[in-house]
Amino acid sequence: MRRNPWATLLTTASLWLSGSGFLAAQAPPPYTRTLETYTVPDVVLVNQDGAKVKLKALLDSGEPVILDFIFGTCTTICPVLSAGYANLQTKLPAGPSKVHLISVSIDPENDTPKVMRDYLKRYRAKPGWDFFTGRREDIDKVMNAFNAYIPNKMSHYPLTLIRDPKTGQWIRIFGMMSSSEFVAECRKAGVL
Amino acid sequence: MSGWRAIPLLSRCLAGAFGFLLLTAPALAAPPATAHPAGTVAGLPEDKALALGERMYRQGLLPSGEPMPSVVNNDVPVAGTAFSCSSCHLRAGLGSWEGGIVTLPTNGARLAIPRYWKFPNLSPEERRELKLQNPAARPAYTDETLAHLLRTGRDPSGYDMHSVMPRYHLSDPDMAILIHYLRNLSARHSPGVVGDTLRFATVIAPGVSEDDQQAMLVPLNNYVARHNQFSAGFGNRMYLGVGGNEMSGAYRKLSLSVWRLTGAPETWEAQLDAFLAKEPAFALLGGLAPGDWKPIHAFCERAQLPCLFPITDLPVVSDTDWYTQYFSKGYYQEGQAAARYLHGLEDPKPARKVLQIIENSLEGKALAQGFRDTWAELGQAAMPEILLPEGKPLALATLADLLAREKPSTVLLWTGASAFPALTALTRGATGAFMSARLLGSQLTSLPELVRTQVWITYPYRDPKLEPKYSLYADTLLGGLMQRHPETRISTRTYALIQILRQALMDMDRHFYRDNLLDRIGMQRDQILPDYLRLSFGPGQRYASKGCFIMQVGPGPSPVLLRKSEWVIH
Ligand code: HEC
Repeated sequence: MRRNPWATLLTTASLWLSGSGFLAAQAPPPYTRTLETYTVPDVVLVNQDGAKVKLKALLDSGEPVILDFIFGTCTTICPVLSAGYANLQTKLPAGPSKVHLISVSIDPENDTPKVMRDYLKRYRAKPGWDFFTGRREDIDKVMNAFNAYIPNKMSHYPLTLIRDPKTGQWIRIFGMMSSSEFVAECRKAGVL
Repeated sequence: MSGWRAIPLLSRCLAGAFGFLLLTAPALAAPPATAHPAGTVAGLPEDKALALGERMYRQGLLPSGEPMPSVVNNDVPVAGTAFSCSSCHLRAGLGSWEGGIVTLPTNGARLAIPRYWKFPNLSPEERRELKLQNPAARPAYTDETLAHLLRTGRDPSGYDMHSVMPRYHLSDPDMAILIHYLRNLSARHSPGVVGDTLRFATVIAPGVSEDDQQAMLVPLNNYVARHNQFSAGFGNRMYLGVGGNEMSGAYRKLSLSVWRLTGAPETWEAQLDAFLAKEPAFALLGGLAPGDWKPIHAFCERAQLPCLFPITDLPVVSDTDWYTQYFSKGYYQEGQAAARYLHGLEDPKPARKVLQIIENSLEGKALAQGFRDTWAELGQAAMPEILLPEGKPLALATLADLLAREKPSTVLLWTGASAFPALTALTRGATGAFMSARLLGSQLTSLPELVRTQVWITYPYRDPKLEPKYSLYADTLLGGLMQRHPETRISTRTYALIQILRQALMDMDRHFYRDNLLDRIGMQRDQILPDYLRLSFGPGQRYASKGCFIMQVGPGPSPVLLRKSEWVIH
């Protein structure tokens, strides 16, 4: 508990000099897009209905897949990502959906199947959008596999991953997309 | 990530982290609330408009009851029921910072003054005194410019808000109601901020032993004394420049009153009302009551008074209540863990028929409730329950009869150690049993050897082998004044409460609103502290430890606990 005030002062001063820690206008960023190859870990996750899901089998099945990382009580980023998912679902052709939307929880302690069910309901999710939770170690493995490891859920960032069904490669989108951009990216990847 | 957004937190973190070293700054006047002309808002009485505005802000519902429509990311339509202003700006309106996106404050006090990108927390008076020249990023909002911002995303300086801030196309009357609410949201400091002091209180109900009281009060008082002492002798001069002034403006001394309740629980709420009227507190810290925490919980909801981490294992379990932040769901959570564990087993046999045998006590009933609710939530059919007569230990014959009659695959024995002699009945078959580590207390390790491999223990804490190195820290706050009693976990929990409070005070900065204190705890990163494996937070999350282990008692006269499960959370 006892701190050395002078050490504290020095830290303060050095942070001070490194400066620049001020609010600056946040220009709406264009999102960035890269093509990546990922190896999906062989883990078992749990969906909103409490059913077990083998992630590797699911993602490698060749069905068109979009994946993001969110959590039930997240502010700002997840609501907007999820609004994007919900909106995309309304743009899909009628009939059984081809593309599988997946959200993986990064707050597995709180995101129980019930919390995830309620979350999907709030966004009026239709079948074809699943929310997965799991053991913390397994969630960590998934985040790591997608180069998205976030040790502290409060510093997580907007990421959308679209799997190209033909090549098995992933389109990694960092940032927020408008509805028309999202649809265009899906078309380009051949999942729509 | 880099380059997208300058990190804005430096000044704020510093203010908090080192604020407690600073000399007390002159008390700041409460930020001015824009006086609203008496009368009506959009043709409604003001209080009615305020309630409707609150519903718009928190639930995203229009005064008509329809979802509030909005557009996010340029062209994505969203209904207010998916998320509302408070999802991003939080309940007190001070905003959030998550993953590189800053959600600016939208509370009354801040909307009424210009916004600055540099040193945003300084008041207009401080700016004048410091002769700061940097121009405002935007002027104070008028009702017209605020309506324009909410509709178009463009603020009065011409800056276009990031596209994650939705655009709201509201009618004039609806807009007037929302703006009326924003003008009043966190416009004045909450009660309990008195001069240069932030006042806290702790509640002690009758029947708590003197030792237990001291185990909480010694560390709390020690913390308060150290916080206040560190400020003495260090002046603003230490923190050169404007940043130092901004930091010291967030510093307050702390005080702690002890509110001792007397008599029957039905009379506590009235006593608490009287305490609060006499010496308004900003929040309650910790607290001890031998039984149900409910009367104190109910009071806090009604008085809108935060209560941080009461030391109880009988909390109110609610998805929606706001004001009490607990360590865990207590006994309830152990029952929950039994349900989750049984449900998750590969082998379906143990879950086929689960019989709950419940001692007639608050603890027994909370354990049973936790199992019952969770079992139903997992989509399972209701299971039989036997409530034991009050004050009568479970007899061997009774248990044997129940096993023969009900033929359960598993029994949940929510009783204390008085049932140990009856456990022999289990050995006549292969029926497994669950018992609660909390309910067995120090008797846990005297579980009869004969049944140790048949009895699973719900264990809500960190593995005891690993605990000492985490609990050790708690001694620093006992200051050699008393011995720690590890089995009560009172001083360790008090220590954890203090760590979380310290962080929350830093993050709260100078925005002394009760809801903001809870909002800031909601935005804390996960904490590794004594007793619980992990404490995690989130807006509206009110039970910080969410899991439980399943253990067995090892062999021998001084057995160790053997871990049989991972941290059970689903
Ligand atoms: C999805 C998250 C989100 C929601 C929902 C949201 N906001 Fe915002 N809001 C933001 C962000 C992020 C900013 C800052 C944008 C920037 O700095 O470019 C902001 C900025 C603002 C500002 C500007 C503050 C200033 O100092 O100029 C106001 C006012 C505001 N929001 C009010 C509201 C109200 C009222 C609602 C509900 C009707 C609301 N917001 C809903 C994220 C949100």
